[in-house]
Amino acid sequence: MIFIYLLSGLFLGWSFGAKDTANIFGAAVETKMISFKKAALIAAIFVTLGAVLDGSGPSQTLSKLGSVNEIGGAFTIALAAAATITLMVRIGIPVATSQTLAGAIIGWNFFAGRLTDYSSLIAIAGSWVIAPLLGAIFAAALFFLFRYYLSKVKLHMLEQDVWTRFWLLIIGAFGAYSLGANNIANIVGVFVPVNPFKAVTIPGLGSISGVTQLFLIGSASIVVGIYTYSHKIMKTVGKELFNLSPITALIAVLSESLVLFLFSSKALFNLLVGLGLPPIPLVPVSASQIIVGSVLGIGFAKGGKNIRYHLLGRISLGWVAAPVIAFFFSFIALFIIQNVFEQKVMQELRYDFNRNTIIQIQKEGINSKYLSTVNGRSFANENELYLELSSQGHYTKPEILNIIRLTEYFPLKISTSTIKDKSFHSRFTPAEWKALSRLENTTYNHKWQLAAALAKYPPWQRRTLGNTSADINFNKDLDRRLDILYRNFYVPEKLE
Amino acid sequence: MPLILKTTRFVEAQIDTFLDTVSDSAILFQLAMDDYINHRYEQFEERLSQIRENEHRADDLRVGIERFLYERTLIPENRGDVLAILENTDDVIDNIKDSMLQFSIEMPQIPPVLNDLWMQTTRSSAAAVEQLVYAVRSFFRDLAAVNNYIHKVHFFEREADQIGEKLLRQIFSLDIDLSQKSQLRFFAIHIEKISDYAQAVCDRLSIYTIKRQL
Repeated sequence: MIFIYLLSGLFLGWSFGAKDTANIFGAAVETKMISFKKAALIAAIFVTLGAVLDGSGPSQTLSKLGSVNEIGGAFTIALAAAATITLMVRIGIPVATSQTLAGAIIGWNFFAGRLTDYSSLIAIAGSWVIAPLLGAIFAAALFFLFRYYLSKVKLHMLEQDVWTRFWLLIIGAFGAYSLGANNIANIVGVFVPVNPFKAVTIPGLGSISGVTQLFLIGSASIVVGIYTYSHKIMKTVGKELFNLSPITALIAVLSESLVLFLFSSKALFNLLVGLGLPPIPLVPVSASQIIVGSVLGIGFAKGGKNIRYHLLGRISLGWVAAPVIAFFFSFIALFIIQNVFEQKVMQELRYDFNRNTIIQIQKEGINSKYLSTVNGRSFANENELYLELSSQGHYTKPEILNIIRLTEYFPLKISTSTIKDKSFHSRFTPAEWKALSRLENTTYNHKWQLAAALAKYPPWQRRTLGNTSADINFNKDLDRRLDILYRNFYVPEKLE
Repeated sequence: MPLILKTTRFVEAQIDTFLDTVSDSAILFQLAMDDYINHRYEQFEERLSQIRENEHRADDLRVGIERFLYERTLIPENRGDVLAILENTDDVIDNIKDSMLQFSIEMPQIPPVLNDLWMQTTRSSAAAVEQLVYAVRSFFRDLAAVNNYIHKVHFFEREADQIGEKLLRQIFSLDIDLSQKSQLRFFAIHIEKISDYAQAVCDRLSIYTIKRQL
């Protein structure tokens, strides 16, 4: 069954390959600097390398929007997103995978009665505005820099052509690598917790883990997308919006790669934190939007006369329409998959008000005297509980969200081997790992119980004294690591 | 990478040789005219055969460059423009050769009183062609300088026009046969036309320069 579920991930991979490679090589191919065959081959190789060697876990920011907790749900979301992207690709509008997925996930939230974290949604939506804007600024700055440099070095037209080709290939390969690394999680990340593949040992070469095999299959679907459908969308990027020359194509791709790097480089993030500077958030930004921003930046730097604004309007409309269409596709598909095909699309969650949770609520500084009406009750979904508590009018929204978090029944069993199998153990320090190993086989009914048990060990303690940006970032990072534990130690069967 | 650069540099050298040939032809044209006016007909014929050779060489070079650019898909965006420039510049040599050939065939009698204006027109036309070669070279290497040379081509073309007009007036004011006047007019216009060709190439060149500018 899992293999059938995996098909929607592969469909998403296919649409991603068709669409996003176009963002990197579209301008180069359309200016005839690189042949489509060559571009496709390089994209295929480097996307695969990026996915397999540097592929990260499930996208953190997207997962904040809603934690899809059932494979059937993941299948449907991927299907809805892929269908939306394919529709947009057919119309010839570049859309963002992460944006479309966000729409589909919110569709799941509505279907499953989960609350949508609107603050995360605003943060993600903010990046959708900032990233293309940065792309435009970078491209305009690079444009002036290139113009100055080229007027100084006086390269022969033919040599300039050779160097432009060379850098288009190098930057394109780099872009394809980071694209594979950053986005493979969008494609098959949802399948990691239910990965059916076992590690395979190849004599003389070592072993290939199950997750790597999953990523390989994901990248294979991207490669198929590149070869079968990316040519059409390349035309929009390369020619239709603004006539790019080979040099301006290079500037656009360079600017895109730089912005992608800024938003995805953990090394840069750590460096900025180390220097006490505000870090650039590591959010999945859209390559499609950055390239459009970059092309526009060049257009404006050249005086803004030859930009085809009507097409820009169509592209912008696509950006708004894609998440909305994905939302409806997702909602309708979930309904059909659940009721017609009788597949489980969401975990039955529960929110319990019992002695344990009420005590914890009090400990967190929330007045529990208004909880008498719900004490001893269980709620089937977040929305129901949220409406119940907000109708009383005693609690603020953050307090209600905190109560929801504390009452959520989420059975966990510590099993370090699960983390090791999925190659997530490299994200923990040896001290953290040691502390975690001491809790092996213990069970918990709530996430906060596991966090509290770990907090007895210094590496897992929150920093609350200084409240400096370094402390805040440490705590955020701690939350991310705890999140990995929650996802991997979740045991759906009842423990008590 | 070094291999690709080697090929590129070879094509660059071919283009440079082609432009050298055009430049040589302009100088030869001026020298040949001087020979003709001073009745050094043997030397004139030698110059004509040199120009003929140049024309063949320029044709071969142009075809070779065109083949390279297409076979190696070099400068895809500017390939058409570059080929048009080379072909039009090649037409300038053809024109020089045609004029000289007409001299060789018809052997027109140029009255000595016309010598000065005749040579002035020739020098202006030859200068226009030389400035054209500079402009084309700059198009490949230094876009900012192209307009400077184009301006000079326009200057020499106007100069050739003005002196040419004077020459024509003087031809028709002479006390010679109408048939000779008519023949001389034909040759004077031919010489002046060479600068017109140079200007026509420059007009295209200025558009291609705008296209190439970042």
